[in-house]
Amino acid sequence: MIAAAFAALAVPAGAQGPWTAPIIRPVVIAPPDVHAAPPPPLLTDGHTSERAIAVDPNVNLSICVTQGSLKINGWNRKEVRVFVKDGAKFGFKVLEKGKQNDPVWITMTSAASKANPTTECIWGDEIEMDVPVNATINIKGRQTKTVIDTVRKANVKTIGGDVSIRNVSEGVLAVVYVGDVTVEGAKGGISLETTTGNILVFEAGPSEIGDTFKAKTSSGMISLQKVEHRQIEVGSISGSIAYDGRILNGGAYSLSTSNGSIRMSLPAETSCNVIAWYGFGSFDTEVPMKILTENISEGPVKRIHGLMGAGDATVKLTTNNGSIAIVKQ
Amino acid sequence: MKEHCLDIGSIQAFLDGELAHSESARVSGHIAMCDGCAVMLAEAENESAIVFPALEREFNSLVPTQRLWTRINDSITVERDAQPIWRKAWAYVSIALANPSLTAAASILLVVGIGVVVWTNQEPVGNDIALVSRPAASAPATAAKQPPRQIESADAGVDSDAAAASAPRQALNYQRASYQPTRSRERTDLSPVSSDARPAAEASSYMPGEDIYVKTIANLAKNVDETKDIVMRPAQRIAYERDMAVVNDAISKMQKEVKRNPRNESAKQVLYSSYQNKIDLLNSVSQKEELMASIR
Repeated sequence: MIAAAFAALAVPAGAQGPWTAPIIRPVVIAPPDVHAAPPPPLLTDGHTSERAIAVDPNVNLSICVTQGSLKINGWNRKEVRVFVKDGAKFGFKVLEKGKQNDPVWITMTSAASKANPTTECIWGDEIEMDVPVNATINIKGRQTKTVIDTVRKANVKTIGGDVSIRNVSEGVLAVVYVGDVTVEGAKGGISLETTTGNILVFEAGPSEIGDTFKAKTSSGMISLQKVEHRQIEVGSISGSIAYDGRILNGGAYSLSTSNGSIRMSLPAETSCNVIAWYGFGSFDTEVPMKILTENISEGPVKRIHGLMGAGDATVKLTTNNGSIAIVKQ
Repeated sequence: MKEHCLDIGSIQAFLDGELAHSESARVSGHIAMCDGCAVMLAEAENESAIVFPALEREFNSLVPTQRLWTRINDSITVERDAQPIWRKAWAYVSIALANPSLTAAASILLVVGIGVVVWTNQEPVGNDIALVSRPAASAPATAAKQPPRQIESADAGVDSDAAAASAPRQALNYQRASYQPTRSRERTDLSPVSSDARPAAEASSYMPGEDIYVKTIANLAKNVDETKDIVMRPAQRIAYERDMAVVNDAISKMQKEVKRNPRNESAKQVLYSSYQNKIDLLNSVSQKEELMASIR
């Protein structure tokens, strides 16, 4: 399963720049019907329209989307442009203006129905938005497939639908109840959460000292590649965890799952303390490790404390039911 | 080295255990360093091994050796210890009464002591009463045997019935060492003690901080049970219930392990982690409901 997940994280040869980032194909572990979100009331009879508004470069954009495929792309203009295909008639609402009278906080409204003439939620078959690269995006969604590319900060909460975020410079917060979360090339504090779905992260790091990385899923696997945060906390209940990257000096890494395996792919010269708890399973390492303390007697919890190199970081690995493997890169 | 070698007398004394401790240490240290003396010691040991068994009966029966004196002294000590205490006391008293002044002083003390005892028994119960703790769990049994009396404070003159109503439960853990049944202070019904003690006993069965997890989970579960059918579709319910079963299984296993071995820190850590997983899982349902409500 893990190998298949890594195989899916194939980086195309010659891929360069923010627009040609590696293609991540999420690996679906749970049955397909488990990923099905509650079907929203089907909105039809839509209109195709496009609007734009001049904004502050650091604009904060709050959007609510009930249905549709949402794509948000950063550009180097002080303007927000929205294109909706087969969806709601919409308008902009300025919530706050800056010193130069440019909107610094905007939202969108639409006419949902005659009974409810204005709502903050929009819908459409396709919703495309161009926003300043320094914009902060706040999205609430019911059933949306969301793609966000090249913005300053992204906060996404959706009930159903996959979320893909790339090239974010100052932090990502994503909470998805049913769906996969994919993050590429993100900087800053990162917090990813999905109830039923996988989490895949490729090339992430802090934008400031102390930025943390958190990823949590109830049913799904978590795969991290080249994550450069020094504080990483990853947890799953029913799913495996894969980590491929470096262990940085002074870092604190915690990977835990109740039912699944943990696999770390580390450089041979890794320096860290490894504390592993496992129940039914095994612990294996290809990277040389000096065992400091070990309790592998019969019982539901076995514990190994080992030292790799000088022990400049702390790695805690916990699985109640599954194996723990550390392999050389 | 040769001039410092031991003579056979010293070696024999060493073998017989007749040397002082410091001397014995010096001899053993030298033997460890000197091959010649080590050979002499080995020869002496061999000779002793042959001679002593042959002469043991004679040694034991005829010669009043140190060993014999030791046995005699041990027997005296054992016999002295076995003597009844009243006989020892009588011996001391006999010696003391031989002196007339001591006899007079003892008589005065005896009279004064009897007077104090009589006067004390006539006084009502005062504040000079020792407190003896007793376990709360044994309250019903104590009540059945003799109605215990509470001590709310050591102040004299406090009406104990009034104080009993407002006193904290801990006060019930005390009773008088010298009990004097007084009708106004009797209390026959101690059922509140036992009923209060039961939750305390249950709470004490938790590890530090565990009860907070348990309460939080109970509250969350109550809310989630009411809404999960609305919030989740059947397929999601299956995934939710499966995850919940995994977490519950982990909690159950770790609880058993911690009960079996309370010093197993690893099991405690995994137990707390599992509690947190369960809280997160329950929270996800509540938060999903909130998000659904906000998208209208």
